[in-house]
Amino acid sequence: MSTPARHRIVRRAFGLGQALLLCGTWTAAAMAAEPAHPNLSGFWMLASGAPVEDPALKAKISPGTVILKDTGAVEFPLMEFGGLKLTPAAEAAAKSWDSKDDMSVANACRIPSIIYAMQGPFPIEVFQGTEMTVIRLEYFDMARVIFTDGRKHQSADGPMTKVGDSIGHWEGDTLVVDTIHVKEATITNNGLSHSDKVHVVERFKLSADGKKLLATQEFEDPEMLLNKGVRFITWNRVQGDHVHAYDCDPSFAENYAR
Amino acid sequence: MRFPIRLTGALMALSGILGSVSANAHHSFAVFFDNEQGVVSVRGVVTEFSFRNPHGVIRLNVKDKSGNVVEWKAETNSPSILERRGWKKDSLKAGDEINIEGWQARDGSHYMRMRKVTRTDGTPVGVPFESMEVR
Repeated sequence: MSTPARHRIVRRAFGLGQALLLCGTWTAAAMAAEPAHPNLSGFWMLASGAPVEDPALKAKISPGTVILKDTGAVEFPLMEFGGLKLTPAAEAAAKSWDSKDDMSVANACRIPSIIYAMQGPFPIEVFQGTEMTVIRLEYFDMARVIFTDGRKHQSADGPMTKVGDSIGHWEGDTLVVDTIHVKEATITNNGLSHSDKVHVVERFKLSADGKKLLATQEFEDPEMLLNKGVRFITWNRVQGDHVHAYDCDPSFAENYAR
Repeated sequence: MRFPIRLTGALMALSGILGSVSANAHHSFAVFFDNEQGVVSVRGVVTEFSFRNPHGVIRLNVKDKSGNVVEWKAETNSPSILERRGWKKDSLKAGDEINIEGWQARDGSHYMRMRKVTRTDGTPVGVPFESMEVR
């Protein structure tokens, strides 16, 4: 290799080094400027009783949204939906729904979507990172990935799943999660289902003492609902526990038959 | 030995009792079980106990008032929840004599959602829900 060629390589290497150095400096500066977010990581058990209606979260609820009072173990009876107004299609589906259809081997382990699963009386485990946060649900072994790296939602022809496509951002101390592409599933476990057009906005924050995880789950569905619904959800921090395998066994349904 | 069936007529407040017990798994508690009637109490001998999600199932033979043996089935809360309350897959064995309280199926069948299980000496199986937070 000639001397000039060696010089070119050295200059390029030096330039690359400078660029990396600058990039590193910029990243460090950006990280230093970025406010520290509360750490939601941990094992959380759904709190029994009525959830906390945090004033700051309540202030963010869209006007006209009905607050459902069925969080946790509470469930509505037939044809009662806590103030949700159903489209004719949803009304017809709810009227023809038969609870015994759930009591089959085919349906006993049918996975709900995050709309029903998140408010159920089962624990969750949160792993918070900078570019994504993962939520493991004990209920049906579900796992959610919430991207917080600034990406947009998947395109309209993206896959439909029971956890949907979630992107998140921070508003002060609150993680705001926007989810679409959620596959059809129950909302209230009594005949009302959402369509794959449902749009969910969740807000998560810690209580002042850090012992509770407070959330709202707001949803709208132009195909099934004439108004929006929201649930408050509260979990208690529990140390030393982890999400267990759910490992649903559909043969349970045979108990109804024999 | 007697295996009486008795219905305890007192209605339970939803918030106080169902609020901590009716862990809604895949099927609707409110639609499938009759909480307006109150809690049914059954005493019998366990014939089988399965402990798998979404619900455990206790089968037991119960003598009715006429002395006829009838089979009852009681589904439990999710075993993954009950494990945190001291339940294990061998908490009940065939031949165990127990009392079960729970909510009967609306169709009147001998099927219930378990609220509490006690042995004949009054010892509870696991930690009853009314005595602690759901965990």
